[in-house]
Formats: sequence, structure tokens, C-alpha cells
Amino acid sequence: MIARAFLFIALGLYTAFAAGPFLWVATMSLRTTSEISRDHYAWPSTLHWEKFPQAWFNSNYSVYFENSLVVVLSAVAVLTIAGAMAAHCLARYRFRANRLVYFIIFSAIIFPPQITIIALFQSLVQYGLYNSKLGLTLVYISIQLPLTVYILESFFAQIPADLFDAARMDGYTEWQIFWKVSLPIALPAIATTVILNTILLWNEFLYAVVLITDDAKRTLPLGIQRFMGDQLEDVGMIATGLMIAIIPVVLIYLFFSEKLIQGMTAGAVK
Amino acid sequence: MATVTLTNLCKRYTGGQSLAVDDVSLDIAHGEFMVLLGPSGCGKSTTLRMIAGLESIGSGDLAINGKRVNDVAAKDRDIAMVFQSYALYPHMSVFDNLAFGLRRRGFAKTEIERRVGEAASTLGLAELLKRRPHALSGGQRQRVALGRAIVRDPKVFLFDEPLSNLDAALRVGMRGELIKLHQRLGVTMIYVTHDQVEAMTMGQRICIMNGGKVVQTGAPLDVYREPADMFVAAFLGSPPANLLPGRFTEDALQIGQCRLPILQRNAPNEVVFGIRPEDIRIGGVNGVAPHVEAHVLAVEPLGAETIVRVALQGVTPEVLLRGPRQVSARVGEQLPLSFDLASSLLFDPTTTRRLT
Repeated sequence: MIARAFLFIALGLYTAFAAGPFLWVATMSLRTTSEISRDHYAWPSTLHWEKFPQAWFNSNYSVYFENSLVVVLSAVAVLTIAGAMAAHCLARYRFRANRLVYFIIFSAIIFPPQITIIALFQSLVQYGLYNSKLGLTLVYISIQLPLTVYILESFFAQIPADLFDAARMDGYTEWQIFWKVSLPIALPAIATTVILNTILLWNEFLYAVVLITDDAKRTLPLGIQRFMGDQLEDVGMIATGLMIAIIPVVLIYLFFSEKLIQGMTAGAVK
Repeated sequence: MATVTLTNLCKRYTGGQSLAVDDVSLDIAHGEFMVLLGPSGCGKSTTLRMIAGLESIGSGDLAINGKRVNDVAAKDRDIAMVFQSYALYPHMSVFDNLAFGLRRRGFAKTEIERRVGEAASTLGLAELLKRRPHALSGGQRQRVALGRAIVRDPKVFLFDEPLSNLDAALRVGMRGELIKLHQRLGVTMIYVTHDQVEAMTMGQRICIMNGGKVVQTGAPLDVYREPADMFVAAFLGSPPANLLPGRFTEDALQIGQCRLPILQRNAPNEVVFGIRPEDIRIGGVNGVAPHVEAHVLAVEPLGAETIVRVALQGVTPEVLLRGPRQVSARVGEQLPLSFDLASSLLFDPTTTRRLT
């Protein structure tokens, strides 16, 4: 009984800690900046829903949103397919230097982005990809690929080899086996990487701010930054912008969350 | 229907010290049920996988219907295989599992439905076609795996220890069904197992392997009665044959303190005397005095029979014998024994081969 009470207290504290700031921003998104400066933590007296269309139309938000959508969706699509193919090969085929390739890919995870960003900036300028959505997409693919391969490889490695042999006996080529056997079985793990990559890249700021300068090419996190001027911060609009930015992530999470849990408690291949 | 011919097949895995399959030659006839039997690691599964085309052939030739197929891909050999783990696709229904191979081969939808329906009704799966493999029992999964092979109507069936994941009662039932299936289809089947009971009951011929080599091939009872060497004698039979070191004197074979009236014909002085547990009788036979008195170590009643462990004076290995349902002997007592010498076996201790 007491243990349960402690558990609930701990969970309650954690929930407040995790959800509190989110709720705070959510209330601020419905208040004007002047209301907020009067009392930071007050509940909204009048709900200013009109701030949402304002942010969307007056502040170029639709463009940022579209840019984010294009960059993140294409990056995640390529990441998922390329990552799954690499993971399939590393998990399934015995070839010389298999583990070496795996280690090299994996070792890229340990570098903080600040180390590579100057070199990356130079490379993109050289290839004419600086300040382009394609350039940013390629960078997003390359930074997330190691983790994607890492997650998927461990899952693919659990798929019994007999299944592949059975598919070969059934007449399928290696390419078809990947699409018809490996990929569908690994769906929980793939959902995990899709959701993880989408959330991380949707919120990505550092690479975007360094590699994009045109206002028309900015992604959402950069768009929110626009409300922060040198002299004035429109806190109310920042909050509204954050809420708009967060909606797709929440939707994706709701849609994939069951698969995500399955993927994290993997091993259910039997 | 097809013949399968293995000629001097060899296989070495990369990094392997010795050959996994060492010079295996085997002729499998049209419609034959051939069992590859041996302990784990003896190369039987590797041999089967080479026939299937899942494993490359190191050297030697593999022919199906007289045509060399070494370099023919698995999918083009017209062979179906049932795996020990069943290898059912977990994301597909039973119907799709059965139809998967047919779809690849471009069968019409109606033909696929006909074949799957037919196989499902033979195997009692008709009610389960919509279920996923995880919602099936072990025996049902086994049937689906079998069905997947049947619908393809292949030239050759391969089985890689298909019953070893089933519980004992189910295994006996499936054994019978596989035999019936073979009789009905009349197709060539190659069956790998380490279970000698499966081999004895199912195989028309048994090929016993050890250390990558074929030790002996023949009909189950022939191999049982006339094992080629000590390995086969010890591997087949439960309990296995007793193998006791002996030495020939002028008029008898001396085993420990026991003298058996066997004459030394073309045999070395030192031999290994082999006798099956069922060829040892308690007491004398037909008025002849028993050969030896043995010290009883253990009595294990199995219901239909009794296994008795005894020690012979001057002989190191324990001797096992298969007695009747009721054995009066008690541990620690002396038990008079007679050997059925007509059924006994003599082996050369250096080559381990049986002496004729």
C-alpha cells in the first residue's frame, strides 16, 4: 500500500516535471504577450485562438511548415529504406569486413555535431548545396543513418535465418526476400526508427541554422527563432509557433506509438 | 519423382578445421524415403542443405534425375524443404504462408486456391487458414510447414529434423502421418534426424553419418543387425549394443573371467565383442548352462520390459540387458546370463570395423 503510494507520488512528480513546461507553453500560446508579461503563470482569461491563423499567415509559417515537411519526410523516407537495406545486409550476409563496416557506421554516433559542422559547411558550399533544402536533407540523412542502422541491425539479426532459407526455397530472390520477408517482419523496429527520426529532425535546429540562410527555405525551428528579435521577444507568438510545430510530431507519435512500444520490447519474432 | 545422386560431395566451412562433409556418395532412388542419421555435427544437415541449394558445394557432384545441379539455384531445383523451426512467415496468415511459393511461381489465383485448399484439407488446416502462425500450436505449425512443401508439388522433399520441436506424443503421431504422406505422394524424400527411432521407423533406407563421412547405408533392420562398425552398433538401438573387449584363447573367446565358445576365424587375437541388450538372456537357454554370473548394478523397469545393468568380473564397461516385464533380480545379487552367440558381433579394436 505504502509502496504504491510512493510509486504514485514519484510518477506524479515525474509527470509534472515532463508535462508542466508543455502545458505552460500551451496556455501561453492562447495568451497575448502583454497578458503574459503581466502574469507569467496565469491561466488564459480569454482564449486567443486567432493567434494560430495569425502565426500561420502573417509570419510565413506556412512556408516554414512546408519546408520542414519536405525536408523531414524525404530524409526519413531515405533513412528508412537505406537504413533497413544496410541493416539487412549487415545482419544477414557474412562477408569480409562485415563487422568493420558496422563499427565504422556505428562510430559516427559518438561525434557531437559541433565537431563536424564546419567541415560540413565547407563541403556543402563546395558542392553548391549550401542554403538548399536538398543539402539539408542530405545532411539529415547522414547524421541519422548510423543510429537507424544500429537499431534496425539488432532487430534484423533476431529474425531466424531459416525464414530466409524458406523464402529462397519458395523461389524468391534476395531482393524480394528483403521486401517481402525482412521488411514486414521488422515493421515494429522500422516504426521505431521512423518516429525517432521524424521527431529528432522535425525539431532539429543547429544544422538548419548553420546551413540555411534564405527565409523562404527555413524550417519550422528557424521560423520560431524569427520571433526573437534583438530588441523584442514576442513570447506569445513564440508559444503559438511552438504549438503549431509540435502538432505533427504528436500526431505521428499517436499513430505509431503502439508499434514503437512493440519495437522497444522487441524479440517478438517467434 | 526423382533420383538424387551425390558423388564425392565435400564441404568445408570458411575457418573450419576439418571437412564438414567428407566425400559423401549416395544414390537415392525414385520415390525412396532416405534417412540421414547421425549425432549432431556429423554433417547430415550440411549435406541436406547442399542438396537444397542453400549451401554451396565444395567439391563433388550433385545430380537430380541424372542432371548435374551443382550450380543451379535453390529455387530452380524444384525441391521443397521443411525446417526444424518450421520457418513460417510470422507476418502472413496460414493461407499466405502456403501460397507464398506458388505466387512467386506465377500460378493463377484459382489454381493457388485449389492447391492450398487441397493441402489444407489433407492436413486438417482448413479451419485455420486465416490465422497467423503465432496463434497456432506446435503441431499445427508443423502441419503448415508440411503444407507449404506439399502445395508446391516438388520433385524432392527435404526434411531437416522436422519433429524435434514437438512433444513426444505428437511426434509419434506425426511420424505416422509422414509415412502415410510418403505412401500417398510416392515422391522422393530425404529426411535428416538424430533420432534413431525416427530413422528406424520411417526410413526405407538409412544412411548413417559420423564426422562428415558416410559410415553405413542400408535398410533399417540390416543396419541394425549388421552394423558396419562399432560406431553404428553403439549409435543404433536403445539401449545401444554392449561393446566388450575380448581376447581369443585356443578354443574360446575370453571376456574378463568369462569364456565364450567362439572360434577365432580370421580374427586378430584382440577383438571387441558386441552384443545387443535383447540378445542377453537371464538364466540358461535350452538346457545349456548360463555363460556367466554377473553382478547386478541397477534394475530399471520400463513396464513392457526391464533394463538391467550388470557388471561382469574383469570387464570395465557396464553391460546392459533387456529383460522381460518382471525381473526378480535385486541390486547386489549375482545373476546368471546367457549370450545369444548367433546374433553377437565381433569388431576389430584398431579399425573399429566389424569382422565377418
